[in-house]
Amino acid sequence: MDNTLDYTQITGTVFNIQRYSIDDGPGVRTTVFVKGCPLRCLWCSNPESQSYKPQWSYRYTSCKKCGKCIAVCPAEALSMGPDGLIHDAEKCTLCGKCVKKCLYEALSISGKVMTAQEAYNVVKRDKDYYDRDGGCTCSGGEILSQPDFVAAVFRLCHENGIHTCADTSGYGSRDALQTIMEHADLFYYDLKHLDNSLHERYTGVKNELILDNLRFLAENKKEIVIRVPLIPGVNASEEHLTLLANTVKEITPESLVNLLPYHEYGKNKYRMIGMEYPMPETPAMTQEEKDAARTFIESFGLRCKVSG
Amino acid sequence: MSVKVDPQAIRSVQVITPRLQKLKAEWEAAEPQVYVDDTLLFTESWKETEGLPVDIRWAKALEKRLMECPLLLRDGELLAGSLTKFIRGNGTLCAMKPREILKMCERGKFDRKTSDTDSTNITPEDMAALKADAEYWIEHMPPVSTVNKAYEYDMGTDVFDLLFDHAMVFEGRGVREIMDRGLFQNYSAYGGGVAQVSAKCIDHGLEYVIDLCKKEKERMMLEGDTEHCHGSAQFLRKYWLLEACIISCQAFIDYAKRWADLAREQAAACSDETRKAELIRIAEACEQCPGKPPRTFFEAVQCVRLYHLVCWKESSDRPEVPIGRLDQLLYPYFKKDYAEGRIDLQDAAELLGALWLKIREVENLVTIPREQRAAPGSLLPNITLCGVNEKGEELTNELSWLILEAMAQVKLSEPAIYVRVSDQTPDEFLLHAIDCNVRFGGGNPAFLNDKEGTQRYLDRGVPLVDACDWNASGCLGYHLSSMEHLGGGHNINQTKVFELALFDGFDPRIKKQIGPHTGDPRNFKCIEDVMEAYYTQLRYFCPILMRIKTLGLATEITDGPMSGLRCAMQYEDCIPNGLTPKEGGARYPEGWTSWFGSRGLVDVADSLSALKKLVFEDEKVTMDEMMAAINANWEGYEDLRQACLNAPKYGNDDEYVDSLYDAVNKKVVEIMQDRIDPITGKKPMLFIGAAAGHTTIGRSIGALPSGRLAYTPTDDAACSAMPGMDVSGPTCTINSATNAPYAKEYCGYAMNMKFSKSLLNSDEKKQKLAQLIRTFIKRDGWHIQFNIHSAEELQDALEHPQEHKNLLVRVGGYSAYFIDLPRELQAEIVHRTMHENI
Repeated sequence: MDNTLDYTQITGTVFNIQRYSIDDGPGVRTTVFVKGCPLRCLWCSNPESQSYKPQWSYRYTSCKKCGKCIAVCPAEALSMGPDGLIHDAEKCTLCGKCVKKCLYEALSISGKVMTAQEAYNVVKRDKDYYDRDGGCTCSGGEILSQPDFVAAVFRLCHENGIHTCADTSGYGSRDALQTIMEHADLFYYDLKHLDNSLHERYTGVKNELILDNLRFLAENKKEIVIRVPLIPGVNASEEHLTLLANTVKEITPESLVNLLPYHEYGKNKYRMIGMEYPMPETPAMTQEEKDAARTFIESFGLRCKVSG
Repeated sequence: MSVKVDPQAIRSVQVITPRLQKLKAEWEAAEPQVYVDDTLLFTESWKETEGLPVDIRWAKALEKRLMECPLLLRDGELLAGSLTKFIRGNGTLCAMKPREILKMCERGKFDRKTSDTDSTNITPEDMAALKADAEYWIEHMPPVSTVNKAYEYDMGTDVFDLLFDHAMVFEGRGVREIMDRGLFQNYSAYGGGVAQVSAKCIDHGLEYVIDLCKKEKERMMLEGDTEHCHGSAQFLRKYWLLEACIISCQAFIDYAKRWADLAREQAAACSDETRKAELIRIAEACEQCPGKPPRTFFEAVQCVRLYHLVCWKESSDRPEVPIGRLDQLLYPYFKKDYAEGRIDLQDAAELLGALWLKIREVENLVTIPREQRAAPGSLLPNITLCGVNEKGEELTNELSWLILEAMAQVKLSEPAIYVRVSDQTPDEFLLHAIDCNVRFGGGNPAFLNDKEGTQRYLDRGVPLVDACDWNASGCLGYHLSSMEHLGGGHNINQTKVFELALFDGFDPRIKKQIGPHTGDPRNFKCIEDVMEAYYTQLRYFCPILMRIKTLGLATEITDGPMSGLRCAMQYEDCIPNGLTPKEGGARYPEGWTSWFGSRGLVDVADSLSALKKLVFEDEKVTMDEMMAAINANWEGYEDLRQACLNAPKYGNDDEYVDSLYDAVNKKVVEIMQDRIDPITGKKPMLFIGAAAGHTTIGRSIGALPSGRLAYTPTDDAACSAMPGMDVSGPTCTINSATNAPYAKEYCGYAMNMKFSKSLLNSDEKKQKLAQLIRTFIKRDGWHIQFNIHSAEELQDALEHPQEHKNLLVRVGGYSAYFIDLPRELQAEIVHRTMHENI
């Protein structure tokens, strides 16, 4: 990063800053979620993070169908359907008038442009809670899409003694990775599928770049946790787990493998932003299946943990 | 100096053994019964002792009850000591509240203190006896309350407009018709505060105390006692008080012997050798204690049981008997038995389980009509664990672990456990406490700031060796172990005072000008005008409340029953001083738990925030419209109410409202401590904490700009947000509460938090909660407790999602607000949690 620039003023598009975030790294953390992702994983639980731009969002459970938002919309992008509001994204200019009008907090604009300093100012409010192992995580979306912003947030953290964790799909340029790597203490690194064509089928992109980047991090001796969304019918078979274990063993054998069993809890968010849920009906994993997957990974001499 | 503990061994104990399971099931299945023997015995004794000094009468009335009450030792019980002859008896003393008892007799319905939903059975004979007893007391009492009479004489009848009288009657005190007025709460122990299980008495044995009293009596006669007594009245007073001590202690020893006799009788008739041995063990323990020091862990536990029971019986109408630092009290006995192989962890665990059942069994009637009552009460047999001693050593031991384990496995609403947390608290122990909290669910144990507690006493000039020996008492108080008078408190209803500021001192509910004129709110130009009006109201009311508190407490002291037993519990000080704790006999007699309290400041801050934002800054609405909306209780102004609800709210680490909260708190502390407490001569001890009172006082307050509906509860505890208003996560709520150092000025300042089980379903996540607790303590927070939410709450969240906006659920790879989940997943989570609870 060019030090002559004021890195604190670099802007990023953020869709949420979650405090007391306890699933995105060690200890108590604050997670800055940036918006925009090059992947389209069918099971994505944060669909509002996919688009790089701010988005209109609708919490239909809070809507009283009073229609006041429709009346104030200058673009005539809103109308009332039988199940609540219908939003025309083509017409919507994201002016936010409807959000201000709503008395029930049913409407919001998902995503906000902010400076690294502004994001850090939220992070630092919980500094007392981080203690030895907690800190700040940047997640997405995809952080490699906004490397300068993420690196700037991390740099501010480091200047103030706060631990940093980069949560990434690994799909981004080497430059981007390097920019972030400089200020990241720990990587949470996703491996979704080791079969290249299946990876493309489920996520929309190929996996070579991801694996290359992982090697690069390992060569640079970064601390890495491998995160795998575990989805029956997609990547939970023994065959795939074997492939996974061998790959991890080869590239970063010291890493913990963290399995994240599939859930449908993001389903509702699709409706909030007017999208269809792309994932076919998938049964939830039983405890036995989760335990079996963990034992299987461990049988390769790897450390493994199942979340959720 | 922490003891090394094997967590695995602790967790593998079985507290609820089949025997305890059976006893617990019997208790759960038992129909509550009104128990009248004690009140009849009390009255009988009072008649017998006509003409004697009141100290002696009080002691004799205890003696009579202890010597003649029926005893019940159930099959399989490990510990003796039942309050009544029923498995689930609810006692009372008519003398304390005859009019209320009579009302219940006439209604034919008897409400229990520990339940809001069911009543107690009574036989026709007992009903007739109870009614006659109540009538006797009404006849033999002055027709008016002496405290109220004192108020009236000193301040005029208008003062009753301001009162919220709890009517804890000894001599006819109780003016019910002003009950729901609710500006002030006159809330104090009926006569001398709360008795506590005394570790020192247990360790020395009551024979030692009796001996002290006898010697002191003799010494007084031989040498006189001008050091402590000035004039003949005081001399005589001390003389009779010592006699009352002797009577009470001896009655307690003899009462224990009655239990011993019963156990021996049952043993003689018992053919089962194991049971026979158990009964003999009980008999031997009750023959030894409380007269002599316990010889074993079992004897110490049996002794604690009887102390709790006898203290309770003596206090009867206000039965808050803190058990105190049980892990410290029992530890020497446990250590010795354990080292000598007489006991293992399992034995100790079962005994603690048995003690829990016996403590929970104790119930009494409540005489405040249900509609005027905040919530099902608690008998508050608080247990405090851990803490740092005067040498700087942290005192967590095996029993601290085991007591929490017992609590988690027994799963009874009482006793409540408080853990004193310091930076020396072992990580593993804190994790165990959280794990027990998760298994228990509803907020047990609570966590207190060890250093803060000790520091507050040091600040008041208490030497370190005593300052560090404190424990939790009452609902949100705490006190030095058997060294203080535990008085009650008087609270000011801040939310009501704020409402008056919006009505120029006029109460819109009772339609009367009760405060000073502070101007028509429609003429307020800025938020500072509103705040100034509020402060002016408060400045007017504070001296009145202080006068009420002073007269009330002082009148109770001269009015209320004297206590031999309570003096005995504080024998080191009360015996030489010749005074009861409440009269100044205690080592630290200023009784700073006799607090000057306030409630409802969060509601005030939220209201100020909405006014500032909507009226004075954004000019979305005029003050006139706001007042119209409030007067209409928002009817026809639903949109404005939503806007008010959406204004910045305390509990979200939002400087906009937090700075208002800070400003108000600073000023309130200044105003309330502007004058000394005339009884202590020191600045008043401030208390902030609602416990369950917030629902009651809420009934007096109309709609407010916070968006609150008329007559609904105000904020639920000192520094928690208004329900559902803290939507930004736990660190934000804690930051809001700890950004300014109020905890130093207030006792009671409690933080209630609600967590979902799924946020705590692994050791790693419990570790994170431990970090949250440690940070709360580091930021000088005083008291924090966690509700790990129940299936019922989730079910309610399912039906009324808007009221549960802050309910977090852990869902796989991320956490979400319950409200954001689709219905079917909400339903699934509800089901899953219920499944967990089975």
